[in-house]
Amino acid sequence: MLDAFEIITTSGVVLWSRTFTPLHANLINNFISDVFIEEKGANAATRDDQLSSTNPPYKSDQHTLKYTFVKELGVIFVAVYRSLLHLSWIDKLVDNIKTLFVDLYGDQLKKPNTTIIECHGFDEYFDQQVRELEGSASKGAAAVPEGALPQEEPTLSGNLGDEPPLPPGLRYKGRALNGANSGEEPSAESTPNLSPTTSRPSTPSAAAAHLVVGKPGPGGKLSRRARKMQNAGASHGAVSSGDEAAARRTKPVKTAKKGRKWTDDGLADEQDDVQLDYSIPSQTGIAADASTAARSSAVEHVDSSTWGSTTTKGQFILKDLDDEVHDILASAKSKADANNNKSTSASGLLGSGLNTISGLFRNVVGGKTLTKEDLDKAMKGMEEHLLKKNVALEAAVRLCEGVEKELIGVKTGSFESISSRIQSAMEASLTKMLTPTNSLDLLREIDAITRPGPASLRTPRPYVVSIVGVNGVGKSTNLSKMCFFLLQNKYRVLIAAGDTFRSGAVEQLAVHVRNLKELTIREGGHVDLYQKGYGKDAAQVARDAVAHATAEGYDVVLIDTAGRRHNDQRLMSSLEKFADFAKPDKILMVGEALVGTDSVAQARNFNAAFGATRSLDGFIISKCDTVGNMVGTLVSLVHATGVPVLFVGVGQHYSDLRNFSVKWAVEKLLSSS
Amino acid sequence: MAFTDFAEYLLTPTPAVIFGGIFIVLLVPVLLHFLLTANVSSLTNLPTILLVGPSGAGKTALATRMERGPDAQPTETHTTTNNHSIEIETPVPSSSSESPSSSGPSAGEHVKFLLTDTPGHGKLRARVFNRLDAMGENDKGRVRAVVFLCDAAALSDPDSLRHAAAYLHDLLLVLQRRASARIRAGAPLAKCGNPVLVAANKLDLFTALPGTAVKSNLEAEVTRIRASRSKRLLDSGVGADEVGSEAQDDWLGEYASQKFTFEQMGEFGIDIDVIGGNVTGEGPGIEKWWQWMAYRL
Ligand SMILES: Nc1nc2c(ncn2[C@@H]2O[C@H](COP(=O)(O)OP(=O)(O)OP(=O)(O)O)[C@@H](O)[C@H]2O)c(=O)[nH]1
Ligand SMILES: [Mg+2]
Repeated sequence: MLDAFEIITTSGVVLWSRTFTPLHANLINNFISDVFIEEKGANAATRDDQLSSTNPPYKSDQHTLKYTFVKELGVIFVAVYRSLLHLSWIDKLVDNIKTLFVDLYGDQLKKPNTTIIECHGFDEYFDQQVRELEGSASKGAAAVPEGALPQEEPTLSGNLGDEPPLPPGLRYKGRALNGANSGEEPSAESTPNLSPTTSRPSTPSAAAAHLVVGKPGPGGKLSRRARKMQNAGASHGAVSSGDEAAARRTKPVKTAKKGRKWTDDGLADEQDDVQLDYSIPSQTGIAADASTAARSSAVEHVDSSTWGSTTTKGQFILKDLDDEVHDILASAKSKADANNNKSTSASGLLGSGLNTISGLFRNVVGGKTLTKEDLDKAMKGMEEHLLKKNVALEAAVRLCEGVEKELIGVKTGSFESISSRIQSAMEASLTKMLTPTNSLDLLREIDAITRPGPASLRTPRPYVVSIVGVNGVGKSTNLSKMCFFLLQNKYRVLIAAGDTFRSGAVEQLAVHVRNLKELTIREGGHVDLYQKGYGKDAAQVARDAVAHATAEGYDVVLIDTAGRRHNDQRLMSSLEKFADFAKPDKILMVGEALVGTDSVAQARNFNAAFGATRSLDGFIISKCDTVGNMVGTLVSLVHATGVPVLFVGVGQHYSDLRNFSVKWAVEKLLSSS
Repeated sequence: MAFTDFAEYLLTPTPAVIFGGIFIVLLVPVLLHFLLTANVSSLTNLPTILLVGPSGAGKTALATRMERGPDAQPTETHTTTNNHSIEIETPVPSSSSESPSSSGPSAGEHVKFLLTDTPGHGKLRARVFNRLDAMGENDKGRVRAVVFLCDAAALSDPDSLRHAAAYLHDLLLVLQRRASARIRAGAPLAKCGNPVLVAANKLDLFTALPGTAVKSNLEAEVTRIRASRSKRLLDSGVGADEVGSEAQDDWLGEYASQKFTFEQMGEFGIDIDVIGGNVTGEGPGIEKWWQWMAYRL
């Protein structure tokens, strides 16, 4: 069963919610920040108006969340359920609730500068949907409901499983045709008057369905009249002419009456139609459909005899709501179809001419509503621009997609051109991507660990940083640069030689340490090397170094590690033990700004190497001085891992380490040189 | 007769007619443009108060409470992902009226303002500061005041204190840069800075620090952050020769002072008040904050 369903705005206000089991308060908060702010992993490309089924589910330890997002209104629809359960109808529920909510309260949602949406009445609609969808999924096994709903209800909800339902009136029409006279031409032709989707299932045969799609012609009126006469029921006319209230009143009773006339034949026809016409039917939907159909024909007589007496006023009201819901869903569906059709066919010559002129005018003056066509070309240009800056294809494509989705339907400001709008949107997205969730103030963090305030209960201990990376990217060099910076700020630093593998590595570090000592001795720098030679287990050495530093009162331990190729299974797997033994406060990976290295794969593998609970904390990008404005590699790295860049190396000297400035990087990336 | 005379005059190429014609031709597009965009600008002309603070401080809770009035059911809230302005009407405060509230009797004049709720998430902070910058020039729709909301119950934890203080530090630095630019341009001090309210929220919880402790904790932490910021590595892109000019700009408050206090910001025309309150539960409530905002409009 569902645990909760919430409708939330991007401003964080819960518009409507239903909780079945109390949830931890942070579940939804984490979901929002992971999916919509940090855009983690597979959840990255979900910021548009797509179906719930195409958004990957968000999983927390116990719960699964399915969601959809309406961009122009800024509303998120999210359903929460236990991961153990398999709820086949959940996507349909999320999408239907979205359609209903937007239809019912869209006007209110569009009002600016308010968060108040009057939607108390939505409870009923939600209940109706849950009842119907849940019912459709479990009907196959369960008995026919206790007459609470009219007979045709199960079939309807079965259909709901894969397509929006038909307006009930229509369905009834179709049945009546089958039952009364399935070969009657005018009636079959009458359906084109209505939208293709709604009419399809009600046509008696596949041939007729072709007719419907292929030949939208007049004559609907006439045939409707004919049908009216034939059935001698005022209700049909009423349905078609939109007087729904009348139709609803009469319908259940009528259904019951006609129901006796149905043959298994007619019902079988229905099922065939379902299978023929729906391009993407959900398996369960059909199964439920079939079994209910069979069942309902079997119990038809029993039920219909008691039907009249159970039809109380209360059920009529229930029915009203059902009808309204189905109408809304069906009309939304047909609107979507109509839109699809419209976009493929060219609009009138005059209209398009006027559009182009006003479009051109607005291109200059601003105030133009951006469409996909407007953006496509400019976005291609932006993508090429990013690729030229060495951004990996994957990252460039995703960034551009994100910007495009963000901009479709947006109005440009006064005197703002499309390309400058794209430029500013790209700037915003790059800034967001590169900005770390918590900005790192390394010195402040070291202080907090080594000299905790009297109020906190922590005991002082050294701050541990370890540096990882592939061979030859400059791990030891960057470690020495960091050390130089710390020494300048009068910290006592212990460097641990964790590279017990490559011969000469320890000596290289020893040289660095000697240089650093000479450079900073006058300013009171204090640095030592902790080494245990070669061949020892690096994790063990690291742990001993930390213990030694704690005993001797060092402030910071910097641990060098052996360079390893990211696809070297044996060496990579030892990293997990290393992280476990040394318990570093920060694990930093050194990556090169140069092109041609498989930096993205490297970063991914390293990020995953520390086990389930630990990951990289940041990147140091070396050799940034050699690439000029082509700093795209760091975008690729951040994009692939979600790990922030903290420092950049800009030269050969100990002082050539810089704090990573997001603004600097974004300027370089967007500069035209 | 008069008509033909007039027509004749219009068709004669006199300087007056030519200039008039040019004038009209030039003016029409401009007018058209303003007509097209008029409805948008009228909205942004309301005075704005910016509501900032770390995630989970209760910004959205406060904004919705102010919109709905104190008697309404508190709304549930989740993480905010986008700036969102809310139009709020408040009685013009006079010295005698003590508690302005939206549901109160509409005795005097009412004034409308926009309260802009912002996301507290670190990744979206650039957006908040951009907003502060963008609205600086236009006098009518500019940000009148900034409310920095923080969770007084969380501030006893060193990590949350550090994050809250870092945000406050960055915010004040942005305001200070703006103000000092204006001071250099010669504007009177009173018009240079924005007033800031540090609102200590959640005083209904018994773990919450009182307003005075919030002030001293934040000041102490900002002092530490200021010190470590001044010592940190140069930003990428900053050349060694630009160091001197940049450094002074990055120092918050009185230059070379040992300890940072909120009063130091007065030098830049930025007045900071610290007031405790709570959005939900029993306690001082939001009246005092509301009053503070109403006075700043
Ligand atoms: N006890 C108590 N809880 C409060 C108070 N004010 C807000 N809260 C709760 O704090 C939580 C976070 O509030 P939000 O308004 O969503 O936080 P926010 O500042 O908007 O957070 P972001 O949108 O993530 O930046 C909610 O669960 C509120 O109910 C208060 O005065 N007392
Ligand atoms: Mg919020």
